[in-house]
Amino acid sequence: MSDIKKAPDGITANHTLDAKGLSCPMPLLRTKKEIEKLKSGEILEVLGTDPGSRNDIPGWCSRSGHEYLGEKEDTGFIRFYVKKK
Amino acid sequence: MSIGEKFNEVYDSFFKKTWSPMTGGVLLAFLAILMVEWKRPWGIVGGIRNWADWFFYGIGFYTETPDHPLFHSGSMMDMGLLAGAWISAVLAREFAFRVPPMLEIWKGLIAGIFMGLGATLAFGCNVGGFYSAIQNLSASGFTMMIGLIAGVVVGLKYIYWEMEHFTPGPAGPTFLGNLPPFLGWVAIIGLIAAGYAYTSSEVEGANLMPGYLLIGAGIGFVFHRSRLCMVNGFREPFMTGEAAMGKAVAMSIILGALGIGLLKFTGLRGTGLYVETAFGWGSLVGGFIFGAAMVVAGGCGSGSLWRVAEGQIKLWVVIISFALSNSLFRHWFEANEWMEKLGSAVFLPDILGYGGTFLLVIAAMFIWYLVIDWNEDSNALVIEM
Repeated sequence: MSDIKKAPDGITANHTLDAKGLSCPMPLLRTKKEIEKLKSGEILEVLGTDPGSRNDIPGWCSRSGHEYLGEKEDTGFIRFYVKKK
Repeated sequence: MSIGEKFNEVYDSFFKKTWSPMTGGVLLAFLAILMVEWKRPWGIVGGIRNWADWFFYGIGFYTETPDHPLFHSGSMMDMGLLAGAWISAVLAREFAFRVPPMLEIWKGLIAGIFMGLGATLAFGCNVGGFYSAIQNLSASGFTMMIGLIAGVVVGLKYIYWEMEHFTPGPAGPTFLGNLPPFLGWVAIIGLIAAGYAYTSSEVEGANLMPGYLLIGAGIGFVFHRSRLCMVNGFREPFMTGEAAMGKAVAMSIILGALGIGLLKFTGLRGTGLYVETAFGWGSLVGGFIFGAAMVVAGGCGSGSLWRVAEGQIKLWVVIISFALSNSLFRHWFEANEWMEKLGSAVFLPDILGYGGTFLLVIAAMFIWYLVIDWNEDSNALVIEM
C-alpha cells in the first residue's frame, strides 16, 4: 500500500508540462516525451489531474532511472516533479 | 503508538492508500467466484447495453421492451461497480469531475464505437470475453487474449503517432473535488438498504439483485482501491515494460478459474455458463478491435466504468459511446442471426478434461507472467516512441 511522496518546499522546475485533463496513459507518455527535452539534472514539473499518475510517474522513474522528487497538491490538480538522470 | 493512532493508520491503509495490483487481483478473483456462487459470472457489457437498449427503445428505434434495469443482473452488477468505485474515490478524496481537452473527447467517442463492435464480435468485453470466459473454462477467452494483445500493440502505435502530430489543447475545468468522505459511508448504508429493499419485492428474480449489487460494489471498490486496470496489464509491457498489473491479472485468472471451474466440476453451476459461440474468428477479431480501441480510450470495460465513478469525463464519453454502439451492433447481429456464426462454443473440459484444462489455464497464465516479468528487466518487448 503506497505512500505519497511530498516534494520539498521551494522546489523550482526548469520546464513545465501541462497534462491536466488527460487520463491514463497520456500523462505518462507526454512526460516520457517531454523529459527528452531537458538536460541531465534539470527538473520537469508535470501538472496533472489523473490520480493514476501518482503510481504511474514514480513507477516509471524507478524503472527509467530518473529521480522522482515528489508531488504537491494545488487547487484542482497535482504538481509532480521529476529530475532527469 | 496509541490505539487511536493505530486505528487511523489501519483506516488509511484500507481506505486512502493505493493497494498493490496483486492485492486487487486476488480480491477480484475472490469476488468473481462469489458472483458465480451467487448465480452467474461477472460481466460488464450486458449491463451497459441494457441501459443503451432503453435509450433506443425510448426514441422508438427498438420495439421490444428491454428488461427493467433495476431487475437486470448485468445492469445491477454495473450499478454496484459504479457505486463501489465511487465510494472508494470519495473516501480517498480522489473523486472530481475532470473535463479533458476536446481531442480526448473525440478519441473517447470513436474508441467507444469500436469497443462496442469488438465486444459484439467477442461476446463480451475484456471481462466477459476474456477474464470471465477463461475463468469459466471457455476456449474463446484464449483467442480473445491473442486478439487483445495484437490490438494493444496497434493502439499503442496509434497513440505514439498521435503524439507526434497532435497536441491535446487546453483541458476543461475540474470541479466537485472536495466532497466530504462521510458521503462514502452514507452511500455504503444506502447500498445495504437497497439490498434489503429487494427482499420485499415480488418481482421474479428480485431476490438475486442484492447479490449482484453488493458483490458488484465490492468489485468496484477493489478496482478503484488498487487501480487494477486490464488495459494497463496488456499495454505496459509494450509501453514502459512495467509488469505489475499484467502479473496481477494473470494470477487473478488462475485463482478464479480454479474456483469457478470447481463449481462447474461439482455440478453446482452449469458448464455452459459464459461458454459462447465465440471461439474462432469472432473472439480473435473482436479482441483485436477491442484491444486497439481500449488503449485509445484509456480504459477497458471495467477500467472505463470505475473511472466513470472517479469523475473522469473522457471515460463517461467512452462508456456512453461503447454502450450505444454495442446495443446497435448486437441488435443488428441478432436480427441477422449472425451471433451463432461468430465461432463455436468450446467448453475446454469437454476436450481436455478438468485436470487438463486447469493445467492449460495455469500454464498459459504462467507463460504470460514469465514473459512480462522477463521483459520488465530486458525491455525486449518495449516499443520505443
